[in-house]
Amino acid sequence: MKRLFGEFGISSAFALSLFLLVVTSLVSAQEVQEGKGIKPGATQAKTQAVPKGGPAPRTADGHPDLSGVWFPGTAGGFTFSPVLKRQFDPKVTPEEPPPFQPWAAAKIKSMTTTDYELGRASVNCLPRGVPGMFMIDPYPFQLVQTPGLFIQLDELNNNWRVVHTDGRPHSEDPDPSFDGDEVGHWDGDTLVIDVIGIDERTWNNFTGWFHSDQEHVIERITRPSMNYLVYQVTIEDPKVLTKAWTSAPRVWTLGHEDLLEYYCTNNQDVEQYKALKAKESSGDNKK
Amino acid sequence: MQRRLPGAVAAVFGLLASAGALSAHHSFAAEFDASKCMDLTGTFTSFEWQNPHGYFHLDVKDPSGNVTSWTFETVSLSTLKRSGTERKDFADNVGKTVTVRACLAKNGEKNRAAAETIKFSDGQVHRIGQDVEGKFSESAKQ
Repeated sequence: MKRLFGEFGISSAFALSLFLLVVTSLVSAQEVQEGKGIKPGATQAKTQAVPKGGPAPRTADGHPDLSGVWFPGTAGGFTFSPVLKRQFDPKVTPEEPPPFQPWAAAKIKSMTTTDYELGRASVNCLPRGVPGMFMIDPYPFQLVQTPGLFIQLDELNNNWRVVHTDGRPHSEDPDPSFDGDEVGHWDGDTLVIDVIGIDERTWNNFTGWFHSDQEHVIERITRPSMNYLVYQVTIEDPKVLTKAWTSAPRVWTLGHEDLLEYYCTNNQDVEQYKALKAKESSGDNKK
Repeated sequence: MQRRLPGAVAAVFGLLASAGALSAHHSFAAEFDASKCMDLTGTFTSFEWQNPHGYFHLDVKDPSGNVTSWTFETVSLSTLKRSGTERKDFADNVGKTVTVRACLAKNGEKNRAAAETIKFSDGQVHRIGQDVEGKFSESAKQ
């Protein structure tokens, strides 16, 4: 937990409190509802931030229990509100842009908006991978925690990952995979997942942040209170970045509904974007 | 949920929201033209309740009586369901007259658009697409 917000010199609880203060004061003039009142199958977009909700539960082995269905932002469910969708306040926890090497920055700068779309894993119905399952995923996921295992079930494309949390070392010479070779251990109340061997087809954001086969991802996950999950990632990539990059801590909130099935099977957007790219290349409608 | 934000604060959050931190399957703003949006009224003929996006089709009659088939894209099914639109809403409107607010595809394909809202035959208006025009940005910030 120390490192979660340590880069900014503040505790996670303090940062979460500041963030919640901003969100709730902007969004809700009323008393916020307890997060337990949502009925299964409820279909109303959420309009309020959920409260902290008391201490996080713990498993029998004493670790915070990360289990639950988690929605990005502070609404504890789907919301139209950009304020509630927001996962961090850059005024409270600023985030630096990725420190790209000049050649990488030039490559990304050369891309058009349409190139960004055509390169997205989502547009191509590919897995988001790691850390995309957290960093570029607007859909909820379910976490299941058992002694020695962290399981993430992502609604998007029905993806899943299973991470051993017993501190075992990486595999030797792992094959590249979308979720990478991932091993976990507990650092106090923080689950730390170390990932290498990530398939180079994944991006770390929606605007061209590609990576090399040398990418090394360190994820830190905490549950500072019953209703809030906090995620922060450090990315090292000596072939693409000039130094390690650490994200702002991002929040998810506890939902009270099941995940839905989401298989990407009727994707018409790739052909649409290809037609748009052809139109742009002919000199019309450029970025 | 009618609340007011100070204008400057609202502007800041509007910028943050538009930064794309929570963009979904793809950017509607990149694919569809916010300057070419219109209301289209026609007969709801069929729909595809599938991910990553739902689609539905309207027969739209022009003033001279010619009928054109239009295709409209919605957000994902989970987003539809969680924001109050069920498959039954589509099924119940097949063969009925509806009005769609939609924005044309930037690639120039004819009769294809992103739906923002639909007014079903019972008069209910549902948000079924991204807010390409920013029409709901103020209410979303409230």
